[in-house]
Amino acid sequence: MKKISRLFHAVRSSNVSAILLFNLALMIIILEWLCFSIRAVAAESGKLVEKNGEYVFVESMDPATRLLLDRAVKQGTISQDEYNRVVQESEQRAYLMQPSFRAWYDRGFNLSMNDNAFLLKIRGFLQMRFTQRFRNDAWRNPGDAKNYPELLGVFGDYRANRSTNDASTFNLRRARLIFSGHLFTPDLKYFVQLAGETAENAQNPGSVQLLDAFVHSTHLPLLNVMAGQHKVFFNRSEINNATSMQFAERSGVQDAFTASGLNRRDIGITIMNDEEVYPVNYYFGIFNGLGPGFNRFGTFESEAPAQGCPGGQTGGGPLVPPCQNTERNINANLRTTISQLMYVGRLNWNVMGRPGYGEGDMAYSETPQMAIGGNIAWNPEINTATDNAFVGIDLANLNVRRQLATFGNGRQLGWGTLDYLSYGFDGVLKYKGFSLQGEWYWKNINRHQKSAPCMGTVSQTNLTCNLFAPTLLGNATGWYVASGYFLIPRKLQAAARYSWWDPDTNAGGDLIKQVDVALSYYISGTYDHQIQIQYTNMFMGTNGFAIGRSAPLPQAAVAINSSGTVPLDAKPGNLIENAIRIQYSIFF
Amino acid sequence: MNDHIRRWTAAVVVLVSAVAGCARLPYTTKTVHEDSRVAVDVQHEITPAKYSHPVQLTADQVAAILRNFSLREEQRLPLRWFAEETPPKPVFREEELVWVSPYLVEALQKAGPDERAHFQLFGPGMNRADTRNVTAGWVAVREPYLYLTIDYFHTEISSRHSDPYYPNNPAMPPQPKTYLLFFEPGRFWVTDQTGARALQFHDFLKTTQVTPLNP
Repeated sequence: MKKISRLFHAVRSSNVSAILLFNLALMIIILEWLCFSIRAVAAESGKLVEKNGEYVFVESMDPATRLLLDRAVKQGTISQDEYNRVVQESEQRAYLMQPSFRAWYDRGFNLSMNDNAFLLKIRGFLQMRFTQRFRNDAWRNPGDAKNYPELLGVFGDYRANRSTNDASTFNLRRARLIFSGHLFTPDLKYFVQLAGETAENAQNPGSVQLLDAFVHSTHLPLLNVMAGQHKVFFNRSEINNATSMQFAERSGVQDAFTASGLNRRDIGITIMNDEEVYPVNYYFGIFNGLGPGFNRFGTFESEAPAQGCPGGQTGGGPLVPPCQNTERNINANLRTTISQLMYVGRLNWNVMGRPGYGEGDMAYSETPQMAIGGNIAWNPEINTATDNAFVGIDLANLNVRRQLATFGNGRQLGWGTLDYLSYGFDGVLKYKGFSLQGEWYWKNINRHQKSAPCMGTVSQTNLTCNLFAPTLLGNATGWYVASGYFLIPRKLQAAARYSWWDPDTNAGGDLIKQVDVALSYYISGTYDHQIQIQYTNMFMGTNGFAIGRSAPLPQAAVAINSSGTVPLDAKPGNLIENAIRIQYSIFF
Repeated sequence: MNDHIRRWTAAVVVLVSAVAGCARLPYTTKTVHEDSRVAVDVQHEITPAKYSHPVQLTADQVAAILRNFSLREEQRLPLRWFAEETPPKPVFREEELVWVSPYLVEALQKAGPDERAHFQLFGPGMNRADTRNVTAGWVAVREPYLYLTIDYFHTEISSRHSDPYYPNNPAMPPQPKTYLLFFEPGRFWVTDQTGARALQFHDFLKTTQVTPLNP
């Protein structure tokens, strides 16, 4: 500092150009600093290392060797130059011999370079579950053909989900392997998550699937960037990690109102600010809008050989000349939505503290933690299958249709191309073990085909439509409120949740209501190791018109392709299910 | 189950939870000091503790007391049978005593009869970007005894406040562990009337030479 002030003084008092002198001074300082740095490196005879939780200074050279060398140089056996050379070589050898990485276990197996330029954290998450269900007789007939239909066969025919009254099942609900860490700098993070699991009512045994694969730049607190396949920052309960839920399972309404309507994950990019730094957080994302591992080249409409003529079943219709109903089964896949993307925005305000997205006040907040948020998503042109008077379906992509059915949006199938405008509001409060969380959702559904779908034509030759859908698809809305309390701080939590969901606002008798009560015991006092028991009572109305499942069924003019006239909901009934889930989770 | 029962059940659970939201863990009433190396605050006990606070001690006396503590993690059975041979480690390093002692003195002066002086010492974590190496515990005085409890001893804890609920990798701090404390000379480390281990600190201070802290 004295040198710097002297330089400044010289600059002031000198007649030489001040700028020139100042530059010269800066160069001297930099050179001096460089020389000092080099000297400092050469003089280093050891380093601080962490051992058993303590930092101790360790000499690079073995103390016994150093003692002998010191004595040797004092006795004149070796010269000072020889001594210096040997010491330097010894230090270099010690430096080269030391491992350049370290490995340890702390909530996952960690491997890091000594300079922390690279970190790999490997974690596993296992969730084993036993479920005992008690269903009413309506599950035998009519069953659920509307909200969670099963889609089978080449065309993805609608099948009602029916069962007898009782079911006892073991389930590997979640089996995850996570590779995360940072590259080059702690501000460039990565996250890869593999899943090999099956949902409770899955149609196929589980296979390993890539859930997440993204990089996350945190270089700029105001502009963090997450790119790749990741959870869309939209719906509070879906953003939350599966390891930090108050209940064994999310409620149906939470899954149904994702940004895309198909899945909580997607491929794209999200920019956001750092929650650690800012009390108000924004998230803005652009995605394919078709769920994980998929893009819009996978979606299409069927087109007959003649351009502009809808493809589909021979004799399907109605066909407007010059389209010929003989142009059949030699269809093209027409991609009209490949320029479309999904846009998602979310605002979150941490009004008090940082309640975060994890459910329940596990941290046992000493002061109230409160946040409110709002979100909006635009996902255009989702082809749910065309209404061509066959069975209400065409060769729309089965992956998209199955995702809609899996997430409870089965009533939207068969209504042609839809635009989804979804939005919602949420809030959370945590204080001294108590938590209260709620969300309200709305999904505006815009059908591209404005008229009522045609369900049948006069005849094979007269393709005038004479049978229409009785009602049109409406919008969807729902909400839930959940509350929990730690009976024993960080150990035992009781929680309850009520969910309400109207999957089609134009239909009556279609409401879905769900009550959940759960008791969670956290073995290690964290989310990482827990046992949960959850009771669920679900009521599902089966009324309302669903294409291909309700009367009138689509009638093809050609008899051999007729779908028949008896709908899947011919027998009315409301579905009631009582279920008990016992679940063990470990996140290691 | 009809609608009314379903709604009332949910409402009652919410209400009971809200009403029952009383403290069952000690909570902070005053923050004495907080920086990147040390944090000291005053915590209120959940049950009446009847401590002798406020207490007048010097930083040198506090350091002299804390310097002689060592600890060993209490293992669960059956590991406990095999862990007894593990030698205890000193709880505090000399520089940590320099950092924490003056603020503990201040906290013991500000604490009330049902409050204790809680401290945290921070070091760089294994992953320096995200974690800290934390030693934490609390000190209290109920004449003629001084009580020390260690909750964390060189434990890796996330440094970011938002990490416990981070969506991709929730990193809730681990539960405090139980540590067996030792004091040299052992004749001052006794059992009080309640069965708790405590230090007869006045007797100890009379017999030892309190050296000034060397910052």
